[in-house]
Amino acid sequence: MHHAHIDKFAYQDSTIHRLDSRVKFLVVLVFTAVVISLPRSSLSILACYAIGPFAVLVWAGIPLKFVFKQILLVSPFVIVLALSCPLYDRTPVAVSFGPFSWQSSLGWLRCFVILGKFIVTMLALIGLVSTTRFSDLLAGLQKLGMPRLLVIQLGFLYRYIFVLIDRAHHIMRARAGRKLRNLGFKTELRTAASMLGSLFIRSIDTAEHISIAMQARGFDGNWRTLSKLKVRRCDLFFALTAAVFMSGLYFFVKPILQ
Amino acid sequence: MHMANELLSIPVAAGTLAIAAGSLGFICRKVRQVVAADKLALMGILGAFVFAAQMVNFQLPAMPGTSGHMVGAVLLAIILGPHLAAIVISSVVIVQCLIFQDGGLLALGCNIINIGLVPSYLGYFLYRTITNGKFSSLKVYIGSMLACVIAMEAGAILVAIQATLSGVLAVPLPTFLITMIGVHFLVGFVEGLVTVTVLAYLQQLRPDIVADSLPGTVRLSKNAVLATLGILAVITGAGLSLLASDLPDGLEWSYAERPDEPGFETVVSNPDSRITAVDEFQSKYSLMPDYSARASKLGDVADRQADIGAGWTSFAGVVGSAVTMAVIWLTAWMLRRKQAL
Repeated sequence: MHHAHIDKFAYQDSTIHRLDSRVKFLVVLVFTAVVISLPRSSLSILACYAIGPFAVLVWAGIPLKFVFKQILLVSPFVIVLALSCPLYDRTPVAVSFGPFSWQSSLGWLRCFVILGKFIVTMLALIGLVSTTRFSDLLAGLQKLGMPRLLVIQLGFLYRYIFVLIDRAHHIMRARAGRKLRNLGFKTELRTAASMLGSLFIRSIDTAEHISIAMQARGFDGNWRTLSKLKVRRCDLFFALTAAVFMSGLYFFVKPILQ
Repeated sequence: MHMANELLSIPVAAGTLAIAAGSLGFICRKVRQVVAADKLALMGILGAFVFAAQMVNFQLPAMPGTSGHMVGAVLLAIILGPHLAAIVISSVVIVQCLIFQDGGLLALGCNIINIGLVPSYLGYFLYRTITNGKFSSLKVYIGSMLACVIAMEAGAILVAIQATLSGVLAVPLPTFLITMIGVHFLVGFVEGLVTVTVLAYLQQLRPDIVADSLPGTVRLSKNAVLATLGILAVITGAGLSLLASDLPDGLEWSYAERPDEPGFETVVSNPDSRITAVDEFQSKYSLMPDYSARASKLGDVADRQADIGAGWTSFAGVVGSAVTMAVIWLTAWMLRRKQAL
């Protein structure tokens, strides 16, 4: 079944896709931390920081329309939070942009800064996930120190998410095909519960089949993987470029734009 | 919707990431010794089940056009036990952050604590305290309902605390807290209803699952839980009580005293001499009037307020928590004794 999951671009090929997942993850983590720690009233510096993930996305060949649609999907809560700022913070402040200048309130400034930071950090995160296969990302995280049990758990989770979502779709479609009108909350609740319950029991049965299959192929509890992760020169170059970009913006451009 | 990066400052994000990573590492190490190889598949599948379950929606009674869906955290905790449930739900939160961008990368620590760790352990502990290991329909239903609501509320309160510690909120804290608690009460209530109904369904078809005999569930060490709750209560009592305002609360404001209106006449005046006698008795003999140490001169309000030191407020908070816990323990013990008879 067609799933609009973000991973579909991870199987393309580009220089960015071939970079080591550990390097990409750490760069995105540091980038997110730097952007979030920017003071709350500098808006133009955010545009400069946005260049980084934007360049990565364009170079990796990820369509920007997809990226912005994804950002829009997860933005409702942040929009509510951002819009609460102008409601509660009305200290007047003078804003100037090029030849224009007008009176606004600090709340509006903070609102746009929150939205800007959200967009920039999301760009970076989407850049990471669309250019890295999840299995590679997990292998990188394990090398970085994530507990092995959690890595195995994430691997299984990722493998079976779409299987179970498909099953849930089938069940919902069966219900929709048999439902003619709203039957009241109690019946709805009972139907939903039996759908969930049957999904749950089938999941447990599937899990038992899987573990029997694993044991039949010799699984003894030790998870052995062939590690193909290697930090190469291009990875180091990418990390260096990112470091130069972020520190350059932080130390040279920010004091000017403040 | 999970917490976004913008709700946090860097120190709080780093701290919560460290706490979440440390706890998860500890749980994984502890569980690895106990969980057999065949449970790995089960945990993974149930993680995927949580995702799929969040898609099953149903019409809510009061609000036409909206539909609710279950989160599934407490259900997992009840069936799998708290340690495995904590790992599974934390993995769900991680995947939601990385693949579905629900929640920011820096907020991952907070999200894991608020959605994965705290609800699993708290929900399980409440459920166990109420059902006490035996399956009786009413107790299971009450237990799971209470566990869902309180687990949700705990998560919501933690979000408010973390946002306040980061100094990010433009909205005043009480407003934010009330909104969060209100919304999550509804969510927890719906979640409780669905959990209870699913447990009823499972009890009919597969009673072995609900009776907690899934092989590989890890036994919870009661002492560890109690010790943790005790430490949390001490920290909360000592730390948060300092933030408590010494202005009159809403009820007092409405009828008794208003510091900003010196000419305000009390709305209620009770001339009954017996009531004044009880008042005097209470103020003479209460241990910690107004949550502070007793002033040297009794009955002198100004002196008493001048004596309020931060240390005593914290002490009052801690002692209050201890007394409350003792009362709860006593109540639970009495309920258990009554049930055993």
